[in-house]
Amino acid sequence: MPFRAVNPKMVEATVLPGQTVYSQRGAMLAYRGEVSFTPSIRGGQGGLMSMLGRRVAGEAAPLMTVEGSGTVLFGHGGHHIEVMVLGGETLYVEADRLLAFDGSLRQGTMFMGSQGGVMGMVRGQVTGQGLFTTTLAGHGSAAVLAHGGVVELPVAPDHPVHVDPQAYVAHRGEVRNRLSAALGWREMVGRGSGEAFQLELSGTGTVYVQASEEKL
Amino acid sequence: MLAVELDGDAVRAKSGSMVAYDGRMTFKKLTGGGEGLRGMVTRRLTGEQLSVMEVKGHGTCWFADRATEINLVRLTGDRLHVESGNLLVTEAGLRTGTTFTGLRGASQGGGLFTTTVEGHGQAAIMSEGPAVALRVSDRHPLTVDPGAYVAHQGNVRQSFQSGVTFRTFLGEGGGEAFQIRFEGEGLVYVQPSERTTFAGEV
Repeated sequence: MPFRAVNPKMVEATVLPGQTVYSQRGAMLAYRGEVSFTPSIRGGQGGLMSMLGRRVAGEAAPLMTVEGSGTVLFGHGGHHIEVMVLGGETLYVEADRLLAFDGSLRQGTMFMGSQGGVMGMVRGQVTGQGLFTTTLAGHGSAAVLAHGGVVELPVAPDHPVHVDPQAYVAHRGEVRNRLSAALGWREMVGRGSGEAFQLELSGTGTVYVQASEEKL
Repeated sequence: MLAVELDGDAVRAKSGSMVAYDGRMTFKKLTGGGEGLRGMVTRRLTGEQLSVMEVKGHGTCWFADRATEINLVRLTGDRLHVESGNLLVTEAGLRTGTTFTGLRGASQGGGLFTTTVEGHGQAAIMSEGPAVALRVSDRHPLTVDPGAYVAHQGNVRQSFQSGVTFRTFLGEGGGEAFQIRFEGEGLVYVQPSERTTFAGEV
């Protein structure tokens, strides 16, 4: 596992020859050893088509590749960092929350409408995430940024979890998400509780929730 | 938050950083950083102005500034280099001064000069988020992002490294165009957040 949390806001990545780590541009704090940082114009893995896909989907966060041998400290904006270890399952996360990830993980882009149809698209708009999200699959680990600390909530088939869309960070596993609206006459007259939209996550997996309703 | 127990002795703190105290305390503004006339003129000229007060009395005094994290550094005769804006409290036994940093200062947005603290005692430095102290030795040089650098102590040489290539000019830079390389023996303090600097833009 190449990522090690130094404190809640910094991670240390071990870079070995022949292995690549992708990270957000400008997120390096310090490094030891012979490490090179190259901007990845394609914005990650894959060829030209993957790059175009990400550009069109608006999921093209500026990334750089980190190669060489040594240790690198990553951090960004004093935000909390959560290290997530993947053992074959898929992680769904917004591209701008992704601080760094192993080169061994396969990166992809997913259309929100494919989960939940029209409501999935509405969901993307409400949460401010847009219509697409980034997926990481395979074996390896990823460092994800969050505002405030992060809690892991397990999702089980008979135990769905409801999350405020703004506090949602990421999820993994076989989880279906659906936007549930609790709009009543009170919202119409401006007396809403401020919790009109919620994300309902069902299936089996884990959802990560941050301690703040602020986007990064 | 930092608590200082005073028993008739004095500490120097950044003006306005006291949040609470018990016992009897007196606060006296020290003009020109408390380094005499020469120090004051140097500070005015270099832009490393320290607005310092002397706190004296019996009791406990608490210090904090903008909810930043506070790190304690113990000095035993060695020298600590820190940006004047990051220095919160120094013990009365420590001397402060100003040194020239050259190009590094300009790249990290701290200006061309920096503050040094020398002597025996403790100093409290501030950082945005918890800072880590990274050891530098002759065999293990360390390279740091100028925006994340907070302070360093010990016998450390620093050099400025630039990774500007044609890609930077195309607007496709790695975001890590400038770095500071530390060699020698000592400690470097790094914060998890990056100041907005000229170097961070390219």
